Amino acid sequence: MHRLVGLLLTVTVGLVLADSAIVTLALPEMLQELDASVAQVAWVLISYNLVLGALAVPAALRRVRAHPRALAAVGIAVFAGASAWCAAAPTIEVLIAARCVQALGGAFALVGALELLVARMGEQRGVAAWVTAGVVGTAAGPVAGGLLTEAISWQAIFIAQVPFAALAVPAALAVREPVPADGPAEDPDTAHRPVVGHNVTLGLLSAALTAALFLLVLLLVEGWRHSPAMAALTVSVIPVAALVAQPLARWLQPPPDVEVAVGCLLVAGGLVGLALPPSADLIWTVAPQALVGLGLGLSVDQLTYRAMEGRRPRARHAAWTISSRHLGVVVGLAILTPVFTADLLDAEEPATEAIASLVLDAPLQPQDKIELAQALGAELTGQRGQVPELSGAFASLEVAPEDRAAVDDLERDLDDQLDRAVSLAFRDSYLVGAGLALAAMLTVGAGAVVRTVRDRPRTGVAR
Amino acid sequence: MNAALRLTALPAVAFALVVGVAGVQVAAGGGDFRPLQPADACDERPGTTSQAEGIEGLTEQLVLRGVDAAACTLGVSREALTLELAQQDEPTDAQVDALRDGLRTAVGEMADDGVLPPSSSLVDEVLDGAAINRFLAAGIRALPDSVVDDALPTEDVLLRAIDELDVRAVLSDLDDADALREEVEPAVKQAVRDELLDRLRNLV
Repeated sequence: MHRLVGLLLTVTVGLVLADSAIVTLALPEMLQELDASVAQVAWVLISYNLVLGALAVPAALRRVRAHPRALAAVGIAVFAGASAWCAAAPTIEVLIAARCVQALGGAFALVGALELLVARMGEQRGVAAWVTAGVVGTAAGPVAGGLLTEAISWQAIFIAQVPFAALAVPAALAVREPVPADGPAEDPDTAHRPVVGHNVTLGLLSAALTAALFLLVLLLVEGWRHSPAMAALTVSVIPVAALVAQPLARWLQPPPDVEVAVGCLLVAGGLVGLALPPSADLIWTVAPQALVGLGLGLSVDQLTYRAMEGRRPRARHAAWTISSRHLGVVVGLAILTPVFTADLLDAEEPATEAIASLVLDAPLQPQDKIELAQALGAELTGQRGQVPELSGAFASLEVAPEDRAAVDDLERDLDDQLDRAVSLAFRDSYLVGAGLALAAMLTVGAGAVVRTVRDRPRTGVAR
Repeated sequence: MNAALRLTALPAVAFALVVGVAGVQVAAGGGDFRPLQPADACDERPGTTSQAEGIEGLTEQLVLRGVDAAACTLGVSREALTLELAQQDEPTDAQVDALRDGLRTAVGEMADDGVLPPSSSLVDEVLDGAAINRFLAAGIRALPDSVVDDALPTEDVLLRAIDELDVRAVLSDLDDADALREEVEPAVKQAVRDELLDRLRNLV
């Protein structure tokens, strides 16, 4: 029972933070089923991160006045109810509203769960469980969402969360241990100041990770036209690599600042690798994703620990890390979305010209070329604004049996041109993401310098 | 583990991993994974891969070379011009003029390259498709190839046909084979007639 309570609270923390990106692979299905625009669907992702980022600190301030048990139970119950509401949402507007309520409950659930985990497991193990659940949840969110969408539907993502969260409500209420006092800093007037440096780094890194966790799945599903399950399987490299990061860090024992800076460098390197795929074969995303996962595992939990270490009230500093991460995701989406949507639009022209070039030179009868060109034109016009599916044009083409092989080759070549155009359109966004990760690395260096100067003993100058 | 090793080991491993991954991606062609770049329309293009034979094959080669030459004149790629023509309701005067000149240039190039077929090789196909008295057709078929080739040099007939052609109408009928034939046939017939009359005048 003792372990089950801790496990349920830890899973709830993982779920709340996984929800930040869990819908990424389901967005195309939502777009279709709810008859929404791309901008509206993007808000399913943005609204949750924005509300969670904005409400985490106010929720932590409430914790000063409310008992964490009640705070956690109410927060988890709201999160569970809103998850069920998300699954039942008939329109995109309702879904966005439900996501906001879900994030509201999530903010209280996270803050309350931290206190209860500390009460149950002690300061060190409780915080460790809370931080690790967050890292694993963030990294595994898209994988879980993709598998559920493929196996059942996008609604299943939300329904699957309800039983865990529903069980976590009595689990929260069952915690009888007193929460260790925060000490004199419990009074907001005498509380420690937030650690600006680590939280800024966390925000920048989260913005960079958005490129890997959001753009990559979009590229795999919408760009390279893989199924959500295949995309989910592919992006599972990131959480697996994140788990490998900790043993690596324990083995090499770097100083904390070095560990975080190396994490940022690995995320940047992984994003550069994703910007330079030699083909649309999934294998080329594995090594770059492994770098991103290693970087995430080395940096995010270390930064979270250090932003909370010895600071009181504990919940408020935890809330600052949540705010930094989720507002970082929102900033990342705000920066990256216009870049890749503009680049996708720009990619239409070179892609169409490449298709025209291949059709003009195709070893087919002239009348077949003209017929195919017209069908392709109709497909491209009809699907404007999204990566087109060209198979319809080929399906309607009737050619002599001896020309069938040439037609199949042409279809393969045209799909390759689309893959090239889409990959190129994502390149700038990945490189911007890499830039954000490098900026995060610079803040680590700057923070280390500031701390060195601040901590240097002051000595008088003897004459 | 000593302090220096603790400070440098992880960065060294990370740096090696990043350089290794990015290096392998680039070496495998990562930087070049981009859509096919349209060739400069003014550069010589390797021969077309036409699968058609006879007049249809000749027409396809002429059109592809002609569009290339027109695109060169207009300062765009062959692909851009093709797409513009497909997407516009009406071609501009500059496009029509460039296309006509391009087709003429294409005929000259094909003649220089020695790839224009002699007119005698096209006679049967022309007569099959033409509404012509069968006794007259039989008479023309009976003529020796050398007589036909001398009377109707392919290059001259094509140049005349291009001058006769209503390029705007041809562009609008590209998707309708019958309508296209109705546009092209009169132009070719007129060109053949004019060429024969010229020859006769020269004889007289």
